[in-house]
Amino acid sequence: MRVFLELGWFFKERKKHYLIGVLMLLIVAFLGVLPPRIIGFVVDEISRGSLTPAFLMKWLGLLAAAACAMYVLRYAWRQMIFGSSVLLARNLRKQLFDHLTRMSPAFYQKRRVGDLMAHATNDLQAVQQTAGPGVLTLVDSFATGGFVIAAMAFTINWKLTLIVLLPMPLMAYLTNYYGKLLHERFHRAQESFSGLNDKTQESISGMKVIKTFGQEQEDIEDFQRLSGKVVEENIRVARVDSLFDPTISAIIGVCYFLTIGFGSYFVTRGEMTIGDLVAFTAYLGLLVWPMLAFGWLFNIVERGRASYDRIRSLLAEPVDIDDRENALDKRPEGNIVVSVEKFQFPGDERSALRDVHFMLKRGETLGIAGKTGSGKSAILRLLLREFDRYEGEITFGNVPIQDYKKQRLREAIGYVPQDHFLFSTTVAGNIAFARPNAKMEEVVQAAKLAHIHDDILNFADGYNTVVGERGVSLSGGQKQRISIARALMMRPELLILDDSLSAVDAKTEEAILESLKKTRTGETTIITSHRLSAIQHAHQILVMHEGSVAEIGTHEALLERKGRYYEMYQLQQLEALVEQGGEA
Amino acid sequence: MEEQKVLTGKAQWLVFKRLMHYLVPHKKMVFLALGLLALTVLGDVLGPLLIKTFIDDYLTPGTFPTGPVAGLALGYLFIQVSNVIISYFQLLKFQEAALKIIQQLRIDVFTKVQNLGMRYFDKTPAGSMVSRVTNDTEAIKEMFVSVLIGFIQSAFLIVGVYTAMFFLNVRLALMTLVLLPLLFGIMFLYRKYSSVFYQDLRERLGQLNAKLSESIQGMGMIQAFGQEQRLQDEFNDINDKHWAAGRRNIKLDGLLLRPAIDIVYAIALIMLLSYFGVMSFSSTVEVGVIYAFVTYVDRFFEPIGQVMQRLSIFQQAIVAASRVFALLDEEDLAPRQENALGTITSGKIEFRNVTFSYDGKNDVLKNISFTAEPGQTVALVGHTGSGKSSIINLLMRFYEFKNGDILIDGKSVKSYSAKELRSKMGLVLQDPFLFYGTIDSNIRLHNHSMTDSDVRAAAEFVQADRFIEDLPDTYGQAVTERGSTFSSGQRQLVAFARTMATDPKILVLDEATANIDTETEVAIQTSLEKMRRGRTTIAIAHRLSTIQDAELILVLHHGEIVERGTHQQLLSNRGLYHKMYLLQNGIVE
Ligand SMILES: Nc1ncnc2c1ncn2[C@@H]1O[C@H](COP(=O)(O)OP(=O)(O)OP(=O)(O)O)[C@@H](O)[C@H]1O
Ligand SMILES: Nc1ncnc2c1ncn2[C@@H]1O[C@H](COP(=O)(O)OP(=O)(O)OP(=O)(O)O)[C@@H](O)[C@H]1O
Ligand SMILES: [Mg+2]
Ligand SMILES: [Mg+2]
Repeated sequence: MRVFLELGWFFKERKKHYLIGVLMLLIVAFLGVLPPRIIGFVVDEISRGSLTPAFLMKWLGLLAAAACAMYVLRYAWRQMIFGSSVLLARNLRKQLFDHLTRMSPAFYQKRRVGDLMAHATNDLQAVQQTAGPGVLTLVDSFATGGFVIAAMAFTINWKLTLIVLLPMPLMAYLTNYYGKLLHERFHRAQESFSGLNDKTQESISGMKVIKTFGQEQEDIEDFQRLSGKVVEENIRVARVDSLFDPTISAIIGVCYFLTIGFGSYFVTRGEMTIGDLVAFTAYLGLLVWPMLAFGWLFNIVERGRASYDRIRSLLAEPVDIDDRENALDKRPEGNIVVSVEKFQFPGDERSALRDVHFMLKRGETLGIAGKTGSGKSAILRLLLREFDRYEGEITFGNVPIQDYKKQRLREAIGYVPQDHFLFSTTVAGNIAFARPNAKMEEVVQAAKLAHIHDDILNFADGYNTVVGERGVSLSGGQKQRISIARALMMRPELLILDDSLSAVDAKTEEAILESLKKTRTGETTIITSHRLSAIQHAHQILVMHEGSVAEIGTHEALLERKGRYYEMYQLQQLEALVEQGGEA
Repeated sequence: MEEQKVLTGKAQWLVFKRLMHYLVPHKKMVFLALGLLALTVLGDVLGPLLIKTFIDDYLTPGTFPTGPVAGLALGYLFIQVSNVIISYFQLLKFQEAALKIIQQLRIDVFTKVQNLGMRYFDKTPAGSMVSRVTNDTEAIKEMFVSVLIGFIQSAFLIVGVYTAMFFLNVRLALMTLVLLPLLFGIMFLYRKYSSVFYQDLRERLGQLNAKLSESIQGMGMIQAFGQEQRLQDEFNDINDKHWAAGRRNIKLDGLLLRPAIDIVYAIALIMLLSYFGVMSFSSTVEVGVIYAFVTYVDRFFEPIGQVMQRLSIFQQAIVAASRVFALLDEEDLAPRQENALGTITSGKIEFRNVTFSYDGKNDVLKNISFTAEPGQTVALVGHTGSGKSSIINLLMRFYEFKNGDILIDGKSVKSYSAKELRSKMGLVLQDPFLFYGTIDSNIRLHNHSMTDSDVRAAAEFVQADRFIEDLPDTYGQAVTERGSTFSSGQRQLVAFARTMATDPKILVLDEATANIDTETEVAIQTSLEKMRRGRTTIAIAHRLSTIQDAELILVLHHGEIVERGTHQQLLSNRGLYHKMYLLQNGIVE
């Protein structure tokens, strides 16, 4: 039942609704005692043969009035209590989403999509059940149970009532014990469901690979195994879950037994009549529902607690990249100075960057080359403040990037990532992602700059063509160029192209670089590429090797050095020569 | 998210019937559970009977002979104890059956998903598909667990109660029959509106999930472009609509479910009392009959109330099931292969006048014809979007083509079994995809017969061994979702190694080294060169250097092959290839 305390903040927030709702519930429970009474009166009159039309009318009228009042009240408390529970789900879902948008890549690296999704669906559902039907059952079972027990004690025989209530502590103990068992089992069941979600999500995202390797059957078997685990865990839940009803019926059985046994004793002693005994058993019958509901309540509440635990632990994940106090509310511009002594990716002992120092003047272009895994993208990700923990400092316009508001810093950077990610909206929507209210002309202009305009015009619906999830219905080069257009839309102070021309042909690459050079005169650009043709015109070229800067300088200076850059260049030239068959 | 049309009553009935079919394989368990249920009902009836006997025969006269009273007590205890045990197993069995049914349904849907064509994946958000496999089926589970058994129990009771009432007083029983249309009316109304409302609710939930799933996956981009606020607003908008739909449902449930039934109950009581009351004005009425009727009406409404309470779960389950079945009935299947026994031996590939379109309107490939002899390397070059990957999509049978034919070893690709094709052809995709797991599991995939040294050899082949061996856990290094902790080049190498590990007869490379440095690329080229004998290769590359010694180079332009020949021939043709080539080498004419 702890979950009710844990959700206390919400009940407080909706105090009025819950109080009114509970009050209505109590009134309904009380009104519920009326019909049997009215029947009793009328039947008594009939049996005495003294029933008059006026009397009948009066009581039946009362009955009808009570029924109408109950209808209205029942409808109204549902709005109050259930209405609040869906509000809770909505608010928690919003909180979850807001929290997710604040989490850094370090978080997404360790969490899986399917699992996060399960939090927002299954777990929220369980919490909603607790705040709605859970509260209802709690109140209802206590109220009905209380009224009935009071009726038993005060109108019939309090001694018998006490005796009959003897097994109740046992019931409380057992249901509590089951509840504990359930808690752990629910946790595991929910986790296995998350696992299944993860599996499904991944298989669907990686469907092309599965098809390529003809592993559909094996993948289905894997799914079968995981879904088998879900069944197993849920059967573990069911084993405890199914104990509630029989246990409670058993207890009720014992109560009946005690009633009849002791009741008979009292009857023979003349302390009560047989009629009293029959009425007493009838009341006992009324107790069945609240007690069963109590068992059911445990089920809802334990499920809710397990889920709420999961949600809370997700919401408790600290936001590791946040604005400093008094952060500058200004779009950064100016020179960029990177001086990083050491950087390790979270959860990795190896240092991804060591002693990286360079200065990039405003308006200049920096090229970064280097082998796969040498740390090119790592530098760029630090510039974007995807990670904050490193030794050293990065300044933008003489101010450490951590001192700007995150929002303002990123506003100044147009980032074209190495792995392009497009959203499942229209082409125009994707290009105008950062400026959704931009005019169509601007979108077209960005598209033209990225040399994707002609391709777009050839699509079935032009700029209104909906690209599938992640842009599945586009060719590799089209995706890359839409990403570029998207970054250009921001008219960024700093444009970052992370190997973003790898899927376009030489002609397009050349054209894009040319138009960048023409339009971006005062602004800074960073390009990483394996094809030296893309960076050789840069003002400065950085050659990375195993996380450190191996060489730095202009194209000519680096050739002069006859180091790594020279080797790379030679290799690419050599290939070109071989291509020409030695002609040139 | 595709819109579903509103379910008619008939459609709902069909969905329900189809769900019931899932019970068939578990009929033994279901019958067992029902048998147990009957036993517990019997116990419920017998228990009070024993008490009645005790009251009437012993308590009332006030004599308590030890033997019979002890017998009754023991009998009562025996019934109670066995009832507890039986009902435990009945509950457990029913849940087990429900869980197994849902598992089967899930496997069916998942299997179906595996058999869908790429076209379907192009147009459906992953989040909404996932939601059908897991969440919608979960909603159906609730129906099997709590609704079905309740319905059956209630049906038993209702029939029993009516029989008893007719037994007691035919006229009155007929009168209470009037209640039935009233009840059915309420149910009808409820069904009519709730199916619309619940469908709306589930659709909104689907939208929420799709939005959430995409946002989680694209969070990097959202943050880089500072669009958190906008995405929050968009999400809130959907969230609010979902909330509104939820409230609408609560209103409907409140108007038509339990509260409405209780009103009918009150009407029934009033009816009974006025009947007996009015009767009593003219003649005498037996009180026992009134009691019996009142009790029966009570008994009658109790299961009805339960059924109505669960009707909303039922309605949700039907809507969820209709979504699941819609996916199961999806006709956008993967291209069919006749399960012929042919095997690919030499690896000759021939395209004959292949014309293809993704959407049936714009032809992406036009009249493509070429031949790759066994052991040859054929290169595809051309501007981006010219249709290179599409050619491969057809060869790999990701999409069905209508015009022309693709032949392997002289026979149509359609006539090989899918297994044969997949085991002989290896493809390195343009966008590498890594699975959650380890490096080893990513190279090996589900192929358990592959030895550790095979895995290593494949990694060495593509020069991935160097970085893998530097990892703290080498081949056992954990790979997070989509391999987010590796550099793009490293991901591409692992994906490449995965293909080489299967030692394919036909190797298809779609920009397999686009994100890889030149040095590594050259080393891979050399390995490929060494292993070329007997392997047909189709390669796409923007860096012409990587395809220089292909036996045949095809230049694509707007889906057509505009030039073909060897490198030398093409250069001397002074066509598009020549131009591309000059550009790439920075030579200005
Ligand atoms: N799944 C799809 N659905 C619809 N259209 C598609 C799909 N895949 C590709 N296209 C379209 O078909 C055309 C050819 O695409 P394809 O991927 O074959 O190009 P490509 O030559 O591989 O280009 P790149 O070098 O950029 O990878 C493009 O205009 C693209 O938009
Ligand atoms: N999130 C991460 N956690 C741990 N290690 C990482 C993470 N991201 C990258 N690395 C590792 O850091 C190193 C540098 O990666 P980075 O992405 O910067 O390489 P890169 O130079 O961009 O390579 P490529 O040319 O392949 O894009 C690699 O060895 C990579 O495996
Ligand atoms: Mg990189
Ligand atoms: Mg392509």
